[in-house]
Amino acid sequence: MAREYGRPESPHTAIPAESRNRGLPMIDVRNVHKSYRSGSRWVEALRGISCRIDRGRFAFIVGPSGSGKSSLLYLLGALDRPTTGEILVDGQSLTGMSEAQQNAYRREQIGFIFQAFNLISNLTVLQNVLVPFLPRGVTAAQRSRAAELLTSVGLADRLDHRPYQLSGGEQQRVAIARALVKSPRLILADEPTGELDSRTGDEIYTILRQLQESSGTTLVIVTHDRRFITPEDLVLEIQDGQLAGTAEADTIDYSATALTGR
Amino acid sequence: MGIFAWRNLLTRPIRTVLALIGLSIPVLGVLGLFTLSNSLRDLVGDTLGGIEGVIVLNDNAISPVLSHVPASLADDLRKIPDIHAVAPEVWGVAPPVEGQGMIAGMVKGKAMSILDQPVIAGQEIASHQGLHSAIFPKALRDHGEGRFLQPGDEGKSNIVISRKIAREYPGANGQPRKVGDSLKIGGKPFQIVGIYETGSMLLDVVIVMDIKTARQVLYRPEGSLSCIYVEGKDPARNDALIAGIEKSHPGFDARSMGEAQASFGTLMGQIDTFLLMTVSLALLVGVVGIVNTMLMSTTERFAEFGVLRTNGWSQGNILALVTLESAFLGILAGLVGCLLAWGGATVANHFLAGGGLQLGMTPSLWAIGIGLSLATGTLGGLYPAWRAARLVPMEAIRLGSH
Repeated sequence: MAREYGRPESPHTAIPAESRNRGLPMIDVRNVHKSYRSGSRWVEALRGISCRIDRGRFAFIVGPSGSGKSSLLYLLGALDRPTTGEILVDGQSLTGMSEAQQNAYRREQIGFIFQAFNLISNLTVLQNVLVPFLPRGVTAAQRSRAAELLTSVGLADRLDHRPYQLSGGEQQRVAIARALVKSPRLILADEPTGELDSRTGDEIYTILRQLQESSGTTLVIVTHDRRFITPEDLVLEIQDGQLAGTAEADTIDYSATALTGR
Repeated sequence: MGIFAWRNLLTRPIRTVLALIGLSIPVLGVLGLFTLSNSLRDLVGDTLGGIEGVIVLNDNAISPVLSHVPASLADDLRKIPDIHAVAPEVWGVAPPVEGQGMIAGMVKGKAMSILDQPVIAGQEIASHQGLHSAIFPKALRDHGEGRFLQPGDEGKSNIVISRKIAREYPGANGQPRKVGDSLKIGGKPFQIVGIYETGSMLLDVVIVMDIKTARQVLYRPEGSLSCIYVEGKDPARNDALIAGIEKSHPGFDARSMGEAQASFGTLMGQIDTFLLMTVSLALLVGVVGIVNTMLMSTTERFAEFGVLRTNGWSQGNILALVTLESAFLGILAGLVGCLLAWGGATVANHFLAGGGLQLGMTPSLWAIGIGLSLATGTLGGLYPAWRAARLVPMEAIRLGSH
């Protein structure tokens, strides 16, 4: 199986060589609160989260169910707005973005991977990968890139298949290709192996790690499963909507570049 | 995006087909109404178009059959200098022909409508021979057989019938009546001397006979008249002729065929409005059906919309996608409605053959059907589309996952 995830250079996606060096903060979360109404009561999903994630990191957000992990992830992807606080990505405030800017940000800079794969059942594998480009029309170059990505995740012979014809692992590989097709700066994954067996989960993490090494893309992954965390990874532990701890996985003390909750 | 929207419709075929039926039936209703209305207008236009003269009836009589004018009126009209010919007539619903009245015919299982009921037209033969625009003699010459009434037929039981009547009241051998056969009207035998065919279902029910004979058949008193057909010397000046007659003879109504056509058009317009209001209710139900279908469809796909939003789709893109789906549904329903109307008209024409009433789907009716359905479908999809578009992406994914 070919495993090359090199990203093409484009004005908004190319990462300067120096930016691949760790230490330059890419994500800066500043005292973010998020509350929403659930039926007749208000739920405080996030209660004053502050943290930084450097460019090119492989970061995990861990914590028990309902702790606010996914809420934080979705806020990083501009899928929702914080109730208070601010989030900066590459110095750009997500909070102040207009609706159109948020759309462009998601379309061009962010790749999402979901636990339930969330492929569109009416579209073929290739068309699913091209979903970000459908409204504006798909170019031959984009189609070619999508096919290359699918080939690189071992689905070259599945381009015209529908999602229901694929196994869970294959569907998640399509979702990874969809996240990569726009050559994103940041990939956000919500329990990407939550519905896969451990062997398939290993395969998915192998792909994600090779991607991160080859392209320098920053990955932020929400997970319950700590088996996939390696000593080099950054781990953000969330409990009851607050940051319980931020650490390099191989240290006990909190990292100097990752701030504790403010 | 168009292919994506199309596939979304095909994914739920039963629901799509049900919504399609819900919208195509009202479209069929609208088209059926317009087709019938246009055909009736054409029929009346064709029927009356060849008549150049003016009919004088008593005021407010909607038809010669329901009119009575005094015989002295004919003499008065002959004194008007601009008049070329004055032809008195007696009209009435025929008594049972060959023992069959309309009600008796229906009881026997014979399909008859009020438009099939034979009507007697008694003509003053001598004065009718001076007419330029007499319809029945022309119809006999062009498409009929035998001869028309002549002065020698006065007071005799000679009649001219239509080919339709000849067909509907066949002889003992089951074959249509022909020239030389007899036909019993009100229990008395009449000799068929001619058969005409106008092609109009409104005229091809008329049995033409001498005016005196008609009075006997219809039990009308001697000298009574239903109406008087008048031809001016210059048909282009009919309006002035009508004004002159109505001014000098209050209580009588002179009508040109153009005026009759206009009155019929007004009547049809009023009927069209009433029926359109009725069909609008059906269209409203069709819109509600589309709204319901699209609401169900979008509610099931919250997660999908969330995923699309995470991939940079704007609210406008989601709105366009869902609206496009309902617009496709509308176009499909319009096509089905038009095809049903076309098929229905073709079948109906088979049964209406020879009656002059021809239903047809013109290009403009196709455009109206598809356009109306497209507008209805699009309108019905707007609310579900707006609802899907305004979902917060994160909320959409959460709702869709549950």
